[in-house]
Amino acid sequence: MDRMLTINIFRYNPQDPDSKPHMESFYIDETESMTLFIALNRIREEQDPSLQFDFCCRAGICGQCGMVINGRPNLACKTKTKDLPSQITLLPLPFFKLIGDLSVDTGTWFREMNTHIESWIHTSKEFDPEAEEERMDNELAEQIYELDRCVECGCCLAACGTARMREDFLGAVALNRIARFILDPRDEREEKDYFEIIGNDQGIFGCMGLLGCEDVCPKNLPLQDQLGFLRRKMGFFALKDLKRGKKKTC
Amino acid sequence: MWSDTTMHVQSSTRTPAVLDWLEVLSGIGLVLFIMGHSLFVASVIFGASTFNGMAGFFENTGLAQVGGPIIGLVFLLHFVLAARKIPFRAAQQSVIWKHARMMHHEDTWLWLIQAVTGMLILLMGSIHMWVLLNDLPITAEKSVALLYAGTWLWFYLFFLLFVAMHVAIGVYRAGVKWGYIRRENRARMKKYLYIFAGVLVAIDLVSLIRFYFLSV
Repeated sequence: MDRMLTINIFRYNPQDPDSKPHMESFYIDETESMTLFIALNRIREEQDPSLQFDFCCRAGICGQCGMVINGRPNLACKTKTKDLPSQITLLPLPFFKLIGDLSVDTGTWFREMNTHIESWIHTSKEFDPEAEEERMDNELAEQIYELDRCVECGCCLAACGTARMREDFLGAVALNRIARFILDPRDEREEKDYFEIIGNDQGIFGCMGLLGCEDVCPKNLPLQDQLGFLRRKMGFFALKDLKRGKKKTC
Repeated sequence: MWSDTTMHVQSSTRTPAVLDWLEVLSGIGLVLFIMGHSLFVASVIFGASTFNGMAGFFENTGLAQVGGPIIGLVFLLHFVLAARKIPFRAAQQSVIWKHARMMHHEDTWLWLIQAVTGMLILLMGSIHMWVLLNDLPITAEKSVALLYAGTWLWFYLFFLLFVAMHVAIGVYRAGVKWGYIRRENRARMKKYLYIFAGVLVAIDLVSLIRFYFLSV
């Protein structure tokens, strides 16, 4: 634990007309169990109070501290410096609007995305606060929870070649969210309703299968399997629908 | 002129799904063709007469005359379908290039290799088909003469490498996209596909060397 770390950080404040994008190096001695979250806080406290980065929970739950660490999007609070070389380069997540330095606005995009895919349970049942909650098979509940563990950090979008080239792409996070509602028996939407949202080039048919999302997800969500499942489901639905359409016109 | 008439809202189109199906199916069809083609060319290993016999069969049954142009069309269709995803605009090319360099991510590079080899195959495959189908019948003697002319040997060396790369990566990514290559079998399937690419290169390379040293 006697390494001196060189942390190269992207600096730019879009609010300041005199600010120019550049890299700045900070030097910090490595300590026991140090994470990038600790390192960044120390730099801000001891060396440069103007350094901008986001954090909230420091436990990999809030998804605030997503950034590009030596080329790979990841959460700063989950990343231990001992797993990195002594030269560390930090960049803000691409794809999202830059607030300043390492801080980006993921919230606006996620809000729009969740509105677009109608990220809530669609049910015609009246909610009765007095009634006992509907029971669900434990295995199914676990399957849903597995997909619901997403912390909306944006790393999958920053790692996605398609999203980087096409800003209208929904990305693995939205598709995973839809997969979660498809699993949920309380959601009364049918296949055609899901197809309306993701059965296009902005959705599942825009995915090129580069697996950046799968390989960087800090929560290790099974994104590859969900994307494959959705493409098959939507692909076969389209074929069935075309067949039905032909029959109707006969 | 603006109209504020409320129109009937159309249901969403099935076109992207259909195009995606056509892309993967035309790709699989072409992979099967390439495998068959490699085996046909490999018949030269057993000598010029075996190769000429095979070529004769394809021409006498009309498979070369009819099948050739059909394969050419499928080839073009597959390119047009895949081109929906290829970054043709300079800004997109710059972004994907920077992205791949930033990520140090094997699958992102594999996709770039696939896109680049796809463009090269379109060009080289067209040249190959034009030269061969415009000079029927195909014979081992003509093929040998071609290999000794100009830079054709290098042309075919690179062509077979590009085809093997494109085919293997294409099969892998089709499996990933359609959910047949999953998290649990991804590493194993990737290894098989590298082996598949290697076998394809080996067969084509042996055929090429055999042609080069064929006494006709």
